[in-house]
Amino acid sequence: MSRAAVVVTAVALRTAGPPDVASARPDVEAAALDVPLVARVQGVADDPDFPDDRKGSLAAAVVGELAGALPEGRRGLFLGTGLSSLTPDELRRDLYPSLRGTSFDREWLARDLAPGRPAPRRHQPERVTTVLAARLGAVRGETNFSACAAAAQSIAAAARAVARGDVDVALAGGHDSMLHPLGYLSFVVLGALSPTVGRPFDRRRDGFLIGEGAAVLQLERESDARARGAPILARFFGAGSSVDAYNVTAPHPEGRGAALAMRRALRDAGLQPGDVDYVNAHGTGTPVGDVAESIAIHEVLGPVATGSFKGAFGHCIAAAGAVEMAWCILGFGLGRTWGTVGCEEPDPAMRCEVLREGRPFAPRVVMSNSFGFGGQNCALCFGAP
Amino acid sequence: MRDVLVLSFSCLAPEAPAVSVAGFDPVAAGLPRKSLKTMTRAVQLGVASVLACTRAASGWESVPPERRGLFVGASPQQGDVEDLAAALEAAGPVPDLRAFAERGEPLVPPLWLVKGLSNNVLGYASALLDFRGDNGNWCDGRLGGVVAIGNAVHAVAEGRVDLAVAGGADALVGAEAIFGRPCAEGAAFFVLAPVGLFAGPGWPIRAGVPREPEARAGEAELGAATVPVALARALAGGRGFEGSGLVVASR
Repeated sequence: MSRAAVVVTAVALRTAGPPDVASARPDVEAAALDVPLVARVQGVADDPDFPDDRKGSLAAAVVGELAGALPEGRRGLFLGTGLSSLTPDELRRDLYPSLRGTSFDREWLARDLAPGRPAPRRHQPERVTTVLAARLGAVRGETNFSACAAAAQSIAAAARAVARGDVDVALAGGHDSMLHPLGYLSFVVLGALSPTVGRPFDRRRDGFLIGEGAAVLQLERESDARARGAPILARFFGAGSSVDAYNVTAPHPEGRGAALAMRRALRDAGLQPGDVDYVNAHGTGTPVGDVAESIAIHEVLGPVATGSFKGAFGHCIAAAGAVEMAWCILGFGLGRTWGTVGCEEPDPAMRCEVLREGRPFAPRVVMSNSFGFGGQNCALCFGAP
Repeated sequence: MRDVLVLSFSCLAPEAPAVSVAGFDPVAAGLPRKSLKTMTRAVQLGVASVLACTRAASGWESVPPERRGLFVGASPQQGDVEDLAAALEAAGPVPDLRAFAERGEPLVPPLWLVKGLSNNVLGYASALLDFRGDNGNWCDGRLGGVVAIGNAVHAVAEGRVDLAVAGGADALVGAEAIFGRPCAEGAAFFVLAPVGLFAGPGWPIRAGVPREPEARAGEAELGAATVPVALARALAGGRGFEGSGLVVASR
């Protein structure tokens, strides 16, 4: 039995800027931790339900933008999210007062977490999905937590749930912000952040630019969308997930898991390698990751135009797969691709054809890659309407 | 669409009123000693349970790694706050980011972030067992394990994998103040396969829309492991299971 066709009928997204302009800006908190530049989203107010959770407010903004015009029917909300961490307030309020030498006063921490007081948000990342699903009247909510592959996997799961008929319309995507002291610190100590700017696929790349963002796609069965005369922005063709099964902290050096995810996405979509005419790479700008991904892209798809958004609005971590797919879908409507901000001199070691600047050509099929810590990979295939 | 069977399961959970898994030895359970320092207690229990349920199934190794899926419900854990203590102490008594950066940062373990990732059960178990296929990790509180098992059932039924391991793990002891009731730890995982792929009996399983299980009075909070542990106990008791969107027939 073939799968019901699923289409995108609306998109909402928040990133630091458009994907063809460098959005990196100095940041006071980040500078204290030797992170000179970050890509922060402007103009998103705190949501009343998430006053101390930046990524919750980002999610509320994109979900709220589409909520008013959602069609009737069983609704689902599928969000990928990331690891909340300690804000400056939490450091000051929760940790410093409980510090006793080089350990913590557990009793003090327990008192601080007393019933009746809102639990620290780091223990409840699913709360954003729960609150927003209730606002939508959704019958189903899922919170994917597969590191940087989370949003892409959420979109894949939502598309399948819509196709199966579990829900009639789904908002699917992701949200994340690690623009806070321990967010920066976590990546600084891993040596993952660039001390300069993000330069995916460039000869001088030295780590990623840290960003934040949120995006959701409105997914419906094509038959339902056509019946109500909804605009069709893109078609879901397929998705593939894999695990490197190699090392929790390092990608497979030859992109074994990445290649498998792309192959599975092609097979799920019923496409041939030559059908894909643009790849939105995970392309973080780390020395090892970009090469491994380029090997995988070349192995699976051969020569194909490839770009990365992460030099423009940074690595949005768990939200990356959603915000990047959303920009690709907007590209369908604009009849263009976006290029790779920050890539001035492509590294000759790259095996894929890096698109440095956007082009006014309308891709028919876009593949978007997202790879996460822990070795989880997800590739999405969407096509022009 | 293929019908799906539970081939085997494992359950690491305390019997009330205990809240911890007594005598749990991660090395004896098959976890690599050198990785233990980057595994939280929940991850250790989860990986041990994944290994145990595969040991209880026969013939699964014949499925190619690319056709083996792993689906996990697990709560994220902040990298252990104890790992930050030395850095905060070095930075001085007053919260000061610059001092923290200059004097504290070198004292933060490099894998502080990685240790707290919720998807570590999936990462470690997939590497140990060479599972490379479809997968997912859900952090949905008490729903986490149900969502994972439901997605695994769909992945097998729709032909994306021929073998799936699915379940949930959590370690919430110490979080009583957050939940306002006793908390426990535990993990339960299940091996799923399409009907007819392996010889031998199994428990037919179907998945619908996941529904959050209600907290019962006096029951310790098990988070993402709540439904997997209840399901494993039902099967061990020779019963079927229906609840939270899962239906498992008795064998």
